[in-house]
Amino acid sequence: MASADPILHFFTIIESQGGVIVKETPKLDLDLYIANYQGRTCFDRLLLIGRSSVPLCVDALKAAIAEAKKGKDVQQYRDAWECIRIAAPTEPESQWDSAWVEKTDKANKLETARLEAELKQYKNNLVKESIRIGLRDLGEHLEQIGDLAAASDAYLRMRPEASTQAHIVGVSKHIISIVLQRRDWPSVLANVSKMLTSGMSDEEQKAHQPFQKLVTGIANLHSDKFYEAAKNFLEVGDPSICQGCNDIASSNDVATYGGLLALASMDRSELQSRVLDNSSFRNYLELEPHIRKAVSMFVNGRYSACLDILESYRADYLLDMHLQPHVHAIFSAIRNKCIVQYFIPFSCVTLDSMNRSFAKPGESLESELMTMIRSGVLRARINTIDKLLVAVSTDDRVEMQTKGLETAKNYEKEALERIRRVNIAAADLEVKGTRKGMGNAMSSIGVGETWFDDTRRQLGQGESSVG
Amino acid sequence: MDQALATCLAFPSEGALNDDAAYDQAIQTHLLKLTKLLKEPPVPLGQYGGQLLELTDPEYNSLSYLAVLHSLLLPNLLGPREFILDKLVKFLLGFDPRQIRYAGSHLLEILSAVCNGSLLPPSVAVEVVSAAILKIDPSGSMFTSTHLQLVKLAYTTNVIEPAMKVVEKNIVFYPGMANWKRPTTLCDMTLSPSVYIHKETGFTGQVRTATVLEYDLLSGMMFCSKREWNKAHAAFERIVTFPTREGGCSKIMAEAYKKWVLVSLLSKGRAIPPPAYTGPAAAKAYQTLGKPYREVASLFETTNAEELRSEVEKSSQIWQDDQNVGLVKEVLSAYQEWQIKNLQNVFSKISITEIRQQTKSAQTGTNLNSDDDIEALVQNMIISNSLKGVLEKNDDGTVFLTFLPASAVLTEAEYAQELTKTAIQLKTLEPVFKATNERLGTSREYIKHLIKEQKRAADKNELDPTMGFESHVDDEDLMGGVTSTA
Repeated sequence: MASADPILHFFTIIESQGGVIVKETPKLDLDLYIANYQGRTCFDRLLLIGRSSVPLCVDALKAAIAEAKKGKDVQQYRDAWECIRIAAPTEPESQWDSAWVEKTDKANKLETARLEAELKQYKNNLVKESIRIGLRDLGEHLEQIGDLAAASDAYLRMRPEASTQAHIVGVSKHIISIVLQRRDWPSVLANVSKMLTSGMSDEEQKAHQPFQKLVTGIANLHSDKFYEAAKNFLEVGDPSICQGCNDIASSNDVATYGGLLALASMDRSELQSRVLDNSSFRNYLELEPHIRKAVSMFVNGRYSACLDILESYRADYLLDMHLQPHVHAIFSAIRNKCIVQYFIPFSCVTLDSMNRSFAKPGESLESELMTMIRSGVLRARINTIDKLLVAVSTDDRVEMQTKGLETAKNYEKEALERIRRVNIAAADLEVKGTRKGMGNAMSSIGVGETWFDDTRRQLGQGESSVG
Repeated sequence: MDQALATCLAFPSEGALNDDAAYDQAIQTHLLKLTKLLKEPPVPLGQYGGQLLELTDPEYNSLSYLAVLHSLLLPNLLGPREFILDKLVKFLLGFDPRQIRYAGSHLLEILSAVCNGSLLPPSVAVEVVSAAILKIDPSGSMFTSTHLQLVKLAYTTNVIEPAMKVVEKNIVFYPGMANWKRPTTLCDMTLSPSVYIHKETGFTGQVRTATVLEYDLLSGMMFCSKREWNKAHAAFERIVTFPTREGGCSKIMAEAYKKWVLVSLLSKGRAIPPPAYTGPAAAKAYQTLGKPYREVASLFETTNAEELRSEVEKSSQIWQDDQNVGLVKEVLSAYQEWQIKNLQNVFSKISITEIRQQTKSAQTGTNLNSDDDIEALVQNMIISNSLKGVLEKNDDGTVFLTFLPASAVLTEAEYAQELTKTAIQLKTLEPVFKATNERLGTSREYIKHLIKEQKRAADKNELDPTMGFESHVDDEDLMGGVTSTA
């Protein structure tokens, strides 16, 4: 257990920082999983797994170190090293590779200086295209070494130099990739719409659709707009183009995100038409058959089976960098929907059968049902004596009658109140602001001009409120 | 003495009084004679006043009776106290409202003397003053200065019940309304109370804004002491939404707002925002002044009894300063009842044990100790009709509560009946509305306004080529602008 102790220590620290910890072994294979991605997202994903998953911790951190060393970002290496230093002090990777750090640092500085000098030269020559290229190279370099602020600055400066449609789209893509990494979701949405405004041919539009829908979906997901996000993911389109976006998310992710969010936000007929009958999304679903299965289970009314499938993949979802913060909300939304859907055809269900379908063994569903009823999601009442869940049957007649009587009563009350107010105004008894203290309020008849002025205004008000 | 008696009995004479005008004429002559008699009595009134009272009928010779009674009572009692007070009570309970319209100021003086509490014991005083107010104005829709005196007396001496019949009336008229004219025949019984009750006719004293506010505040508090939360809520709401002008807000309004928040918890189980027609400045003042109250209100709606209790304890000084300790206590004790009532939104049947587990008392911040306590509480709620439900017992001995639907289906006939009832009530508003409309519709200002509007409408028809520019510039001195404004 010698090696377990540092891991335990590591996760106590993570827990104190408020991080998510996943103890269950996920179904994913780390190497296969990470092979789906390229670019900086690999490192981010590995580090997240390393920091969250107990079984995969050391492997993921080691892979993260290797990934960081492949790149030029010293900060990434430092982040990963800080983790592995605590989690696995015996591993060779936990030794601080100062030689590499120094070398990379030096090379980075040299490269930055070289690119800046080049850019300066281009600027002197006033050739628009070379300035653009220079800025792009500089931006890409800065992004690689992890200086995101400077990189986004460089990309932003590209915008005025862009001369063709493709250039503008390119600039937008670069900027979006930066704001995605900085987790600035509103800017993602803003930049996507910028990318769209320029008039594009249908073909071009199609080519950019996967990228654009994908990032919009992710941004919407993080803004808690599940329904919009689900629609975005379902419309991603051509999987072969989507493959190119794997520096952001893989096609498998599209299937998972889209399926889960659709389950959480759409009703049965919509699921059928938009998810299962969606020919382009079917390609994605093939990559993640369990999602497809869960959706069709839900559509067919086998709610508990659907929930079981999802539950068995919970660990995997918790290790995804975009899903992790939302898994709980998505799951409870799906669960609530299942319970509501399950209950619709019945007027009365025994709590036992509800428990059998939805509750974890040995637990009761009652408190969850109570919160659902309180929040108005479920229109039902619990009968704890006969252990029943009873649907609320609204008698339209009673409703109409109560409403009618209420309206009549309110009408009377309002009429009285209005007459009263008019008369208070006419008697000059209102509380006045300028002369504070109610004792001073004058209530006199015929004291000259001021009084006439006042009444005129009151009458005007009176008329309008009575009319 | 005989001569005085003859004068007193002279009115009302038999016959010829069917006509309002003739009645008015006769009563005016009678008044002159009475005044003369009282001003220059042949023998001091104190000697035979008692006899006069014995021989005249308070119901039939009300005016004469009042005149004699007034001089015997005020400024000092002339004659045996018991005897005069007995006559006073008899008179106030029985006078003829038609005759008395001609002697409003005398009656007012007597009523305020009674309200001061020195003449009659409070329980009697409240009773007779209430009766007198409703005799003068059976609809009870007109506010008078006596109203405030009555509730002050009733509230301070805690004689609440007899005043209720006055306090429960809807008041829509206030003295001192614009465009008042002395009616030609005061004795016309079809007159609206807003016409014959006026400072000029003597039925009311000066009424200020504070008088009206204070009246509503006191009547609200009277309802509170009777635990009629709905009515108290309405009374406080009248103050909270009192019409304001030029950003006005008074201290009474702020006080009433605090009580209003607490009472709305008691009557509706939650705090409701002030109605839209609340004065904007007042609403702003409520926001800041009523903060501790709103905090209590927001906790009241949660299931967190412990926090509610500590919040109430934290601000105990505030409740003390605002004299709301009693109401806050009521709120705390009502908390669990509302918790139980809210359970019906979730449960259809629930056992007593579960109710005990799910609801907490805000007085202690914990669950009640035994199921019996809960059962008693629920039983009381059902009896007091604040909860619709029945307690039943299972075969295995568990007691449980079944919630019943709030309203049963009415038959079509019953429903129609209910609606007609409201319609009839609305019909009773008609004279009130008519009186208001007439009074305002014939006021000088309104007619002026009307003529102006008509003129403007006429102007619009004959298109003005200058777009009315000249009429705008009319009274503006364009040249002298700089010097005149400086």
